[in-house]
Amino acid sequence: MGDAVLYYEDVHDGDQAPVLTHVLTRTDLVTYAGASGDLNPMHHDEVKAQAAGQPSVFGHGMFSMGLLGTALTDYVGIGNVVRFRVRFARQTWPDESLSSRIVVTGKRTEGDQHLVDLDVRLLNADGEEKVVGEATARVPARG
Amino acid sequence: MGDDILDAITGRSTGTTVVTVERGQLALFASAVKDPSPIYRDPRAAAAAGLPGIPAPPTYPFVMGNFGAFPELQAEGGGSDNPMAEVLGPLLAGGGIILHGEQEFTYHRPVYAGDVLVGRGTVADAYRKESKGRTMTFVVVDTVWSDRETDEPVCTSRMNIIHRG
Repeated sequence: MGDAVLYYEDVHDGDQAPVLTHVLTRTDLVTYAGASGDLNPMHHDEVKAQAAGQPSVFGHGMFSMGLLGTALTDYVGIGNVVRFRVRFARQTWPDESLSSRIVVTGKRTEGDQHLVDLDVRLLNADGEEKVVGEATARVPARG
Repeated sequence: MGDDILDAITGRSTGTTVVTVERGQLALFASAVKDPSPIYRDPRAAAAAGLPGIPAPPTYPFVMGNFGAFPELQAEGGGSDNPMAEVLGPLLAGGGIILHGEQEFTYHRPVYAGDVLVGRGTVADAYRKESKGRTMTFVVVDTVWSDRETDEPVCTSRMNIIHRG
């Protein structure tokens, strides 16, 4: 993980990154709450979440983006992301299986930089989109 | 509430925050987003990957203001301002919920453990839309993080917050 280097010459339109799958647990939400400083009770307090009309606690949007970020850097390399944008489409729920879907949409050079554009998504097992966006990475060339 | 208030907050500062980026916090955050890479935990692994220090995971800039914003780092009389709360506070008092609609990061370089960064926030846009009979109020805040030593930009975060009435 993070060891295999992705070279510009080896990237092609439509290439898919390895899929990262994770089953969301309440422990994940508590861990993310502590590590992010986001203590909104909707993400860790079942009693308050239900009192607010939610079926249970639900995931932080930024946890979903963070998990997708892990899948992204697994593919393009840590330190190589230059842009990462998402829209939060749906809430995530404990016990849902979340999977990344990252597809290369193009590559280009800008000056001496080799850039790869990607479509990035996080989906549950039913294919429901949780997070939808795009990213750009600067990758090395074999040159 | 007319849209005057939305026009009035656009362009306003949300304040300046100075943070120090701490190694332990980065390792904890990497675990929280399910990344076991040694690059986030061992400077030798980071060096082997060609990085000058232990980097932050890509979404860490969103939360770094919650940690390491120690009092002695803040500029005298710098303080913070909260034009977003001026708009969303009264809306929320009347019901509805706050949603994080979109998030974007542009990275000029990775954030590293040991960095001292200055974050300057601005309301980039504020607007209203009707959707399915509901009023949606959008506030977009840009935060530009720069290296305190060199003043060079490191990362720009664009957050789109929605009040759904």
